[in-house]
Amino acid sequence: MNKIKNTFIPGIMTSLLIILGIIGWAQPAQAQGNPDEAQKMKMLQEMAPYKGYLKAHMNIPPQELLGGPLEVEITQKSGGVFVILPSKRKLDPYVFGTPQVPRALAGTPGINGLPPGVRGINNGQYTEMEKPSPFGDKNIVMGNGKLDIKAVDATATDAGKTNDEIKFMASWQDKQGNTYEVRCCGMLAAHGVEYPTFGGVVTNTVMHGSSRIGTALMPTMYTYFAFWGMGEIRKNGDVLDKPRLVHGMLTEYVRKKDYELAFDDEVTPTRKHFHLMVPPMRPEMKEQKFVHEDVKTGFKLPNGMELPFWHVMFENLEIDADRR
Amino acid sequence: MQKYNPYIISLLFVLSFLLLAFTLHYHAGSAINTQQIDSTEIAATVEMTNTMKFNPDTVIIKNGQTVQWKNSSLLAHSVTGDPSQATIKGSATLPKGADSFDSGMMDPDQTYQHTFSLPGTYQYFCIPHEGAKMYGWIIVEELSKNNHTSKIIIK
Ligand SMILES: [Cu+2]
Repeated sequence: MNKIKNTFIPGIMTSLLIILGIIGWAQPAQAQGNPDEAQKMKMLQEMAPYKGYLKAHMNIPPQELLGGPLEVEITQKSGGVFVILPSKRKLDPYVFGTPQVPRALAGTPGINGLPPGVRGINNGQYTEMEKPSPFGDKNIVMGNGKLDIKAVDATATDAGKTNDEIKFMASWQDKQGNTYEVRCCGMLAAHGVEYPTFGGVVTNTVMHGSSRIGTALMPTMYTYFAFWGMGEIRKNGDVLDKPRLVHGMLTEYVRKKDYELAFDDEVTPTRKHFHLMVPPMRPEMKEQKFVHEDVKTGFKLPNGMELPFWHVMFENLEIDADRR
Repeated sequence: MQKYNPYIISLLFVLSFLLLAFTLHYHAGSAINTQQIDSTEIAATVEMTNTMKFNPDTVIIKNGQTVQWKNSSLLAHSVTGDPSQATIKGSATLPKGADSFDSGMMDPDQTYQHTFSLPGTYQYFCIPHEGAKMYGWIIVEELSKNNHTSKIIIK
């Protein structure tokens, strides 16, 4: 089992059109030269829980949402944001089970499931993921957070095409006054690869954790609104990276005291916040796959390294939704 | 020689004494009150932080005193001592009969003040960070000891 440990091989991920919640610890170099590890990775990916479901929805026309299209507007006009830094995620037994009865194994590691080899064990229980990911407790606060979303959820299931729409803009500033910005979406994910994306925009569903929709490293959470699409990363108005996979979601509150990420039984269903995720994976459209590539965020960590992803939380929100 | 009614003279003496006593009591009392409960003066300042804390989280004041909150963080916060706005049981608790208070959303550098006019323990919270347990406490003590002292001196 431990052999899987260092095999996070974005290079061999087959047919990945749209992935979300991708972890920053992929190590392509180590696995690419190892056919055995590559084979194991391929098997993990092929056993992702929604593969059959997605196959049935890959080429269908857009199915209309029950009750008709829902227009959603979410804004933050002032106040700061929480920028999540790489750290080790504690493993929730509700999601990952125990070493005796493990759960959430299959799927691209970190993007969907988590193989046993990266799960720390103590006293017969899982402890934490053994490598840092974008889904931990560490964070810094940055100022002047702005969020502006106008979206339409029209398409219900995954499909070959989508009638969903989105205009997304988010920005925030560091201490030196640099402005970081994410804009989306040049293209929406009409269907997912390892789990559904519901036409690119989805409203009123459960995601992450035990749902196996998105990374299991985030808790199971009610999701009022979410989207997946291709966007661009800017710093001080200059485009640093494009196109990049952008995923956002408005959910119930999944942080605790000191902003620690909750386990499933610790979420606060009565409060909401918005998550922005730009994972360190790049789609290669011709080959229909993703390769690992750090996001050019333009933001230097204290150790001098560039932050390789954006995972940013907005909590001073105005939310509006109406049937069209 | 004009004759004075001794009853009237006695009455005047008594009245003068009462007037003096009243004046002394009134002035002395108001002087003490000015020191102890000038509600326009800020008795304590609580800062709101980037780590989602009210700092200090507990403040002890006298009844009638005013607390000021300053948002010293980059985040937007609120000061909400209103049980009707709490979504988690116990996020806001007030002494029986006390008025609720709420700053609304406060942007960075904004301040908010509230004067407490009923003794007891108040627990308040921040609306967007209720899930992160951003709580604070104000303990309002009675003024009775000082009032008693002032009354005893005068009488
Ligand atoms: Cu707050």
